Amino acid sequence: MLRVVAFRKAILAGAAGALVWEAAVRLLALGGFHGFDIVHELGTLAFPNGGAGQWWPAGLTAHALVGAAWALFYAYFFWARLDWPPPLQGLVFAAIPALLAIFVMVPQLRLMHLPMAIAQLDVRSFLVALQPGVLGTLLLGHALFGLTVGAIYTRPVGYPSDSPPDLRCSPRRRGTEGKRPPSGSAFMFATGIECSYPTIDQGQWRRDEMQTMRHYELWERDFELARELGTTHLRYGPPLHLIYTAPGQYRWDLIDEAMADLEEHGPEPIVDLCHFGVPHWLGNFQNPDVGPALAEYAGAFARRYPWVRFYTPVNEMYVCARMSALDGVWNEQMRDEGAFVTAAFNLAAASVAMTDAILAGRADAVFVNSESSEFYQPCCPDPPIQERAAIENERRFLPLDLVYAHEVSERMLACLKQHGREEEYRRFLQRKVPRRTILGVDYYEWNEKLIDQDGHRRSLGELFGWYVIATHYWERYRRTMMHTETNRIDASDAPRWLWRQWHNVQLLRHAGVPLVGFTWYSLTDQIDWGIALGRANGIIDPVGLFDLNRDPRPVGLAYMHLIKMHRDEPEYRECPALKELLD
Amino acid sequence: MPGFLGAHGYEPGPTQRPLLAGAISGLLATLPAIAILYAFQALRAEAAILGISQILTIAVGWPVMAVAGALYARLFGRAANEPRGGWLFGMAYGFALWAAGAVLLLPLASGGKTPAGEPAIGVFLSLVAWGAALGFIHPFVHPPLHERLEGAAQRVGPNAGTLRAPR
Repeated sequence: MLRVVAFRKAILAGAAGALVWEAAVRLLALGGFHGFDIVHELGTLAFPNGGAGQWWPAGLTAHALVGAAWALFYAYFFWARLDWPPPLQGLVFAAIPALLAIFVMVPQLRLMHLPMAIAQLDVRSFLVALQPGVLGTLLLGHALFGLTVGAIYTRPVGYPSDSPPDLRCSPRRRGTEGKRPPSGSAFMFATGIECSYPTIDQGQWRRDEMQTMRHYELWERDFELARELGTTHLRYGPPLHLIYTAPGQYRWDLIDEAMADLEEHGPEPIVDLCHFGVPHWLGNFQNPDVGPALAEYAGAFARRYPWVRFYTPVNEMYVCARMSALDGVWNEQMRDEGAFVTAAFNLAAASVAMTDAILAGRADAVFVNSESSEFYQPCCPDPPIQERAAIENERRFLPLDLVYAHEVSERMLACLKQHGREEEYRRFLQRKVPRRTILGVDYYEWNEKLIDQDGHRRSLGELFGWYVIATHYWERYRRTMMHTETNRIDASDAPRWLWRQWHNVQLLRHAGVPLVGFTWYSLTDQIDWGIALGRANGIIDPVGLFDLNRDPRPVGLAYMHLIKMHRDEPEYRECPALKELLD
Repeated sequence: MPGFLGAHGYEPGPTQRPLLAGAISGLLATLPAIAILYAFQALRAEAAILGISQILTIAVGWPVMAVAGALYARLFGRAANEPRGGWLFGMAYGFALWAAGAVLLLPLASGGKTPAGEPAIGVFLSLVAWGAALGFIHPFVHPPLHERLEGAAQRVGPNAGTLRAPR
């Protein structure tokens, strides 16, 4: 697949483009200008001797169908390639059908109207559309068509955040054989269903990765594929924004069947309760009610599905706070240090309150606190650049410091005081962190960044590698760890990346770090991941173990090979660090 | 091109058999195309231009369309497996074949002779229909031909993590 295409929207855009074209031709005719009449040309192919009552609807229908096909083509191959206003994108695209019309279709239509079966061509036959009247009408018609298609075909993925469509996991279609094997204390070979649901466009538009990846329709197949690969655990994030409709009101029916399937057949879910977004009625992460509200949700979830043991209360708190309040991409879309601190505190407070709420229902629950591992390297010895890198390297720890009751640096403490958060910070430090806690460390090729001479962040690629960056987190928190996310956006290089990440995991384990799991994220390709979901483009990033047709990618097979090769080895069959945690 | 396709994930997967699936789909898709050619008397016109019988025109056309189908599947890679958009990609491919073959090559090869009138409509519709049918059925023809995951996984071992060292 190339893009996720909104079929209805594209067909509507194409048909509308053809109608606008036709309206312009009729207006020109009323003004006495008779150029090339495409509807007449098409209609009289079907009704050569018919009246306007016959050829006009036939021609208009044919032209609308052609327009719809071109609009779909635009949606698949052209939309969002240029970072221009949508109508201009459509206008540029219209050059393609215009050229084909001028040099291929119009000459051929003339041939099709000839009263003979075989004709003799010469070069002039191909140039009939270059007569000024014909050419002018064709160019005008295509320009109007392109502008109309471009204006209508926007935001092919997602939906208005205040009026979501009726989405739900479809009913089970077939019985699945086999029972969920007890995961015990074996090393966790995991994958995940990408489930991000932030809002963009000032909270008006909801991104919903599960919807665009068609997980709600294909969840049975997705779980089967995860089992087929041999994964033992699945990072799974039920759609909080759809389930939690109001305080105390939950739509569990949306996911009951999927959860029942996981309970019966596995893989063991690591339930991700909040993934970059909140329900519309909660607003965004600047809202201090987010923590108590999400705690209520977490408690209700644990009561509804008491068999679930592994939870990620809030996924990647640092990334969520940064993208929402510092980089201005999601949710509140602010660019402010104070807003970042507020979001980080609200997210950490939510994580803590959710953890407590789950523990009240299930005392032996295990918490996998996934966080994006980051590292900032100053490009040069200039003090401002060094300072900037130092700030970034301290800020990356803030949410985890709060959740794990770890003291922040002097500089960060000063920042918290400046934003009036010292008292609250001291309260976090009093917290007793639950014993069954796993620090999840995510890593992608752009997690290591350079602060350049202008103070901007640039990706360094894999400079020091996961082993070194994860060690920063190990040394700071001394918690049981797991590699909870990685993938590679270059599909042809993904198997190489998988094996290299795995070797990092092996090395860290051999260094004595209690590391209990590894994750390729995600099971399927993701949509707009390369632009951090910041625009609703529908571009598919081939990062999955399977593509969106659920056909395996080479990395899927490599992961299957990796799991099969290691799962029965003694050091992975029985993982002492996990055993100690679970007991 | 292969590098671009690979990086962007369009390369056919390791369990897939695009050439075989494309050839079979290409063959099957000729059935509606032949019906259209026949209905518009385009088969007769083409045979007359080529100077061969209608049966021979079909006999030559079938392997050509099988090869064209295989080429389609290889060219579009994973996109050809897409059930929703396959018909559109196939239709675009059929249109391109019509523009290259019927509009350009046929007159060049026959001293400027080309189908006109109803046969011209038939040739156009038949190739667009062939492409649409090819693209539509390919996602259904292909999956049963896939290699099993277990077997294919053996080929993607730890050596995939290494770089090729200069000798």
